[in-house]
Amino acid sequence: MMVTQSSSPFGGGTRTRVLLALSLLGESYPRELSRVLDAPLSGVQKALQSLELDGIVAGRSVGRTRVFQLDPRYFARDALKQFLRRLTEPEVGLQKQVAALRRRPRRTGKPL
Amino acid sequence: MTLSARSSLGAVAASVAGALRTHKIRAVLTGGACAALYSEGAYHSRDLDFIVVGDATRTEMDNAMESIGFVRRRDRYVHPRARFYVEFPRGPLAIGGEYRIRPVTRSTSHGRVLMLSATDSCRDRLAAYYHWGDLQSLTVAAWIAARNRVNLATLQRWSTAEGAREGFDRFVAETSGIRRRKAPRRARR
Repeated sequence: MMVTQSSSPFGGGTRTRVLLALSLLGESYPRELSRVLDAPLSGVQKALQSLELDGIVAGRSVGRTRVFQLDPRYFARDALKQFLRRLTEPEVGLQKQVAALRRRPRRTGKPL
Repeated sequence: MTLSARSSLGAVAASVAGALRTHKIRAVLTGGACAALYSEGAYHSRDLDFIVVGDATRTEMDNAMESIGFVRRRDRYVHPRARFYVEFPRGPLAIGGEYRIRPVTRSTSHGRVLMLSATDSCRDRLAAYYHWGDLQSLTVAAWIAARNRVNLATLQRWSTAEGAREGFDRFVAETSGIRRRKAPRRARR
């Protein structure tokens, strides 16, 4: 069996993967991140909370949902984005997961 | 100074700054509290964000805050009587891409406070407007600029670096509008 192990330069593995997912998605919410990363919701929420405390991600409320993105006010945001972009390159699985997400709008009431 | 429910933001800021100084913790007041002080009450904030510059352990911070009656609840310090709470967001002290921030010591009637300069407080609010489209922050930045001496050339350079040249023009227009409204009318002859 082949085991692939990703590096975790941002502390825990979930913290790093949350950042990678956010860099690909632009913005997202905990449940979506949990689905994309196939990680427990509580772990994703915890990772987001600690990244928010570090000032790396920022969350805002949209209705009852907390939507997160890389904090555009973070002083090293450009370098961080570049680093994350590089880190996502070998993450083919994650890229496929993100690409499979439907994010375009859908008229209210239109049947699936 | 004993804090009470009637203590103003300035009084609490000076009290916290004094306690931190006594305990040899260098921390800079930033964020909404700074904006509230510079806007002279036009903007209100209930939280005081201090960024520690240098080293301080959690125990040292707890001791400093406890000396003026604040107790820690998770990451926030609350006071049994004062309406305001205090947080210590993680540094570095930076505004957008700018991290070479020079804080200023401001003397108030309650004591000295190490805080962002008026120009940097303006930048801090403008960052929220530029990156989040937060119009309230634009208004507060304009209030700060209208009521204090700010370095417009610095603001313009930084705004351009943040990719917000148009946003800066809107800020200048907003500030001029506030100044015009503030200006005393000429007495009729």
